Amino acid sequence: MYEPALINEAQRGDLDSFNTLVLTYQDILFNTALRIMGDEDSAADATQEAFLSAFRAIKSYRGGSFKAWLMRTVTNACYDELRRLKRRPTTPLEPETDDGEEMETPRWLADPSMSPEEETEADDLEHAIQHCLDELPLEFRTVVVLTDIQGMDYKEAASAVRVPLGTIKSRLTRARLRLRECLQGFWELLPAAFRLEGESLRT
Amino acid sequence: MTQTPSFRDVEQLSAYLDGQLKPSEIARLESRLQADPALASVLKDLRQARGILRQLPQRRAPRNFTLTPKMVGLKPPLPRTYPVFRFATVLATLLLFFTFATNFMAPRLVRTAAPFPYGVGGYGGGGGGEPELSMEAAPEEPAAPALEAPAAKEPAIEEPAAPALPVPAPTEMAPSADDSARIEPTLGPSEKSGVQGAPTGEPFAQQAEPDQALQTQPPKPLVSVTLQLVLVGIAILSGLIALILRYTAIRKWRAKAK
Repeated sequence: MYEPALINEAQRGDLDSFNTLVLTYQDILFNTALRIMGDEDSAADATQEAFLSAFRAIKSYRGGSFKAWLMRTVTNACYDELRRLKRRPTTPLEPETDDGEEMETPRWLADPSMSPEEETEADDLEHAIQHCLDELPLEFRTVVVLTDIQGMDYKEAASAVRVPLGTIKSRLTRARLRLRECLQGFWELLPAAFRLEGESLRT
Repeated sequence: MTQTPSFRDVEQLSAYLDGQLKPSEIARLESRLQADPALASVLKDLRQARGILRQLPQRRAPRNFTLTPKMVGLKPPLPRTYPVFRFATVLATLLLFFTFATNFMAPRLVRTAAPFPYGVGGYGGGGGGEPELSMEAAPEEPAAPALEAPAAKEPAIEEPAAPALPVPAPTEMAPSADDSARIEPTLGPSEKSGVQGAPTGEPFAQQAEPDQALQTQPPKPLVSVTLQLVLVGIAILSGLIALILRYTAIRKWRAKAK
């Protein structure tokens, strides 16, 4: 069904139409939440909360990018969830290895087409990037997730986080510079193309 | 000329990477990039950072985040008659309680209103506190008049020096000792009847008559039992109808949701 028609129906309270939109956008919203939160369970909670808020507030949607509108709800949900976690910190219930260390990301979520070595490398790189993202201040992290990871343009990102375009530009620049600095520490994990480029820059 | 790029320059480079610059700005920046290796180096750094971020795999959502009617607090559409029956149930129940309360309170109100003229008359200055006692005594001990004679004698037995009953002239009973002797038995909890018993003679006889009259006639309820039964019937019937309407509406709605 055509998206505007689904939105229209959802605005009239039709839950089925809204759920169709949920199925379309749930991966994007979950990934955004995951990169902002850095934890799958919290990201899932924030995503669910975002869709719930979106349904309740869908009558206030007045056109424009629906994706940006949804992104606003998910970033707000992430901020709320982070505030909640700050008040009541929890210990993750991740399975542990024989050494007592927490296991890596559940394998069932990984790309099945990858070899075990590639999986390990990808996991390591992903963890390195996530670590660097987590090091960023929340506002910077949100902007970099929206633009560089979700591929939104500045205008959409500005609409999603409700800040002026100039702020997006500035935050994104600062975030990229900090990320670049942080990722230097994980040089050996970076893909060959980046390594070569980096080496040429170092010399 | 090569110098460390300013934050403004880096910001321009970042926007250039994302294609957010105007054509005139692009042309100016590109010419600077050719002339300034430091600026070109920063551009490469930024491009690299952006490229690495784009390497992040997109995860599948661990589960579906679709909403259920319960989650969003949607309620089944109830029939238009439902609030009418619900209101009728509430109203009938309230009225029923009101009728019970009225029937319960009415005899008390009637009885408390009656003894006032008699209770006040007997004691002159001391009468301020006494009517209250007599008010309490009237409904709780309707047989009080029958016990008045022995009760009246008790103070005389306990304190023979106080000639409460035989004194012919009440005006001579001014001494405070006598007063206390007479008031004491009236205030004692076990001697409530003493209030009425002390002034033997005509006032007491007048008081006995209306009390006996009240006692012999069973109190008639203000609200008839029939009306109460009707209210009970309305409350139960409308309540049942409302419940059935609600139950059927919810069942239909759940079946439709499935």
